[in-house]
Amino acid sequence: MLHLQSSNLLIQKTFTEALEANKSGEPLTFDRIISDFDYTNFHVSNDPENKTQLFLSVRTKAWNSILNCDSNGSQGVLSYLAAKYTKLAGITVAGGSESGFDYTLAIDLNQLTGETIVQLSLLKTNIMSYPFYLAFQEFATLSTQNPTTTTVTVGRFNEETGNVSSIDVSSTLYTIQYRDNENMFIKPSNDRITVIFETFFQDETDKVFGKVFLQEFVDARKRNRDIQSAPQVIFSTEPPLELQNHLPKNNEVNDEASKRFITFVLFPRHFANDELQFKTVSQLTLFRNYFHYHIKCSKAYMHSRMRYRVDTFVKVLNRAKIDEDDEENGNTETKRTITGRKMVY
Amino acid sequence: MSDWRRIDIDAFDPESGRLTKQDVQPPHASQITLQEITPKISQLRSLASSGDSKSAVALAVSDPPYSGDENTKAEYFKAVLETLTQVRQADIAGVVSGLTSEQQDTLVKYLYKGMSIPEGQKQGGILLAWFERVTQVAGVRPVSHFINDRNTV
Amino acid sequence: MSQSLRPYLTAVRYSLEAALTLTNFSSQEVERHNRPEIEVPNTSAELLLQPMHIARSETEQVLIEPSVNSVRISLMVKQADEIEQILVHKFTIFLEQRAEAFHILRRVPIKGYSISFLITNKHTESMKTGKLVDFIIEFMEEVDKEISEMKLFLNARARFVANEYLGEFVY
Repeated sequence: MLHLQSSNLLIQKTFTEALEANKSGEPLTFDRIISDFDYTNFHVSNDPENKTQLFLSVRTKAWNSILNCDSNGSQGVLSYLAAKYTKLAGITVAGGSESGFDYTLAIDLNQLTGETIVQLSLLKTNIMSYPFYLAFQEFATLSTQNPTTTTVTVGRFNEETGNVSSIDVSSTLYTIQYRDNENMFIKPSNDRITVIFETFFQDETDKVFGKVFLQEFVDARKRNRDIQSAPQVIFSTEPPLELQNHLPKNNEVNDEASKRFITFVLFPRHFANDELQFKTVSQLTLFRNYFHYHIKCSKAYMHSRMRYRVDTFVKVLNRAKIDEDDEENGNTETKRTITGRKMVY
Repeated sequence: MSDWRRIDIDAFDPESGRLTKQDVQPPHASQITLQEITPKISQLRSLASSGDSKSAVALAVSDPPYSGDENTKAEYFKAVLETLTQVRQADIAGVVSGLTSEQQDTLVKYLYKGMSIPEGQKQGGILLAWFERVTQVAGVRPVSHFINDRNTV
Repeated sequence: MSQSLRPYLTAVRYSLEAALTLTNFSSQEVERHNRPEIEVPNTSAELLLQPMHIARSETEQVLIEPSVNSVRISLMVKQADEIEQILVHKFTIFLEQRAEAFHILRRVPIKGYSISFLITNKHTESMKTGKLVDFIIEFMEEVDKEISEMKLFLNARARFVANEYLGEFVY
């Protein structure tokens, strides 16, 4: 389990189960809540009258901020998702979202296919990818406006200072608020797209571990020639220049010192076609989960290690104990019966 | 006086028979002052710088200023520490085996004192090398003497 | 074993051997009480012996405080940087939470030290003194080793994780 999957396994399982039950002629009744990272919940339920009609609803923390990404209001993301899903067999967008949830899809079990199930399980990633989609589009227009600078600056990117804000063409900044106090910022520019994660560590240990991990993200590309073409990663405790005028003022975290900013610099090679775009986006949306997950794993490993170490220490200490049985046996000889059993008086 | 239940009234009773740190200190006929010890310190420094480590260390650990005040002891200790750190690692074993058992006891006292203060802790490696040699020659004896001796250096 | 570790451990060993000569001693203050005199320091100075400091450097020290019926041993574990600090803290807390299993471990270290042990005459009566000394020595060795191994592991894991993640972007 090195990598986290961008699809939700439970959704896949639920729908495969439903599909099979339906095929055998006994459709199941569903009312399941499925959780995902970052306060995302899914709800799978039946139509009360028609058991072959299922609903998949999603509620995610990031929803409101994604709606705000588009100047046209909520229509943009809805039509984006509709375009993605309605072309698949058996899926229609439900008339209104289920109460308490942000978005609902209606699924007809009679037409459901395996491929559709995979796409359903990617619902969260697809929602999160909308701002990226906007950014890719904006990049396309920006890069045609300044074709000359594009080619030049890609080659001469300043690796030493990590200064990525030299060309500030676009003032657009897409913000995804995917956790209470943590945001993701996407900034398209004429030769690159900058993705900035804002994260903070509640725990003192996490802070130190996180520093080690993030530093390795920064250094990995410099050290390993094989991944030279990966996006450049910059880590800072101060907000990067891109965010200076955009940072939300209503920050509830008082402890500014525990804030960390991680910048990914995406070059056109990372989003040249649809497939690459999807891969890049699904990796990036899982970035925070990925490295927090590995911090937790390290802690768990250390815990089990310490447990083992404590056991060996106790063993060493127990060697010091004077064994009372030994002494008794040494002093008084135990009497045994002819069969070798101990005599008890 | 909210915490009056916790007051240790025995501490205020002169008849309680309790002993403090000062009470267990052995009495000295006279107190040695910094002026009286200064000639010894300079003699120590000149011996150490002349390279005669054997007699320098022997002088350092003979007749230490037990009766002096803290300041006197600190000044004298500085000189002892300098002497000890100037001896070459290879010579330590020879110097230690040339000392009488009382001198070895005193040497251990200075080693422990050295390791208890920051100036000596910086030289921890050297003091530990001395300590190892002493225990190789004399075993656990000087350590036992140290913990039971009320005369501090 | 590094150059200065051996003399350090020898010094601790000799100091402990000298200090672990404990006897049963009833409290002079409270009738029918028998308490480790080193933990009640303000009543009778005559029962406390000279404390021994053993230092390898300013950050790596042992303090042994002997008394008539108990010895308190406090270790200061080397903490070179932030990570080691966290690891030492975690490790000692972890041990202290399991103090029952260790018999001689003190639940709270004395001020300025990472971890403390308290050996009383009860312990020396039920355990072999030589082996107790061995335990302390082994503990000191292992703690250092454990901390540096954990630190190496953390760095190695971080490196691997970062490599793998960024590797996903290489097409």
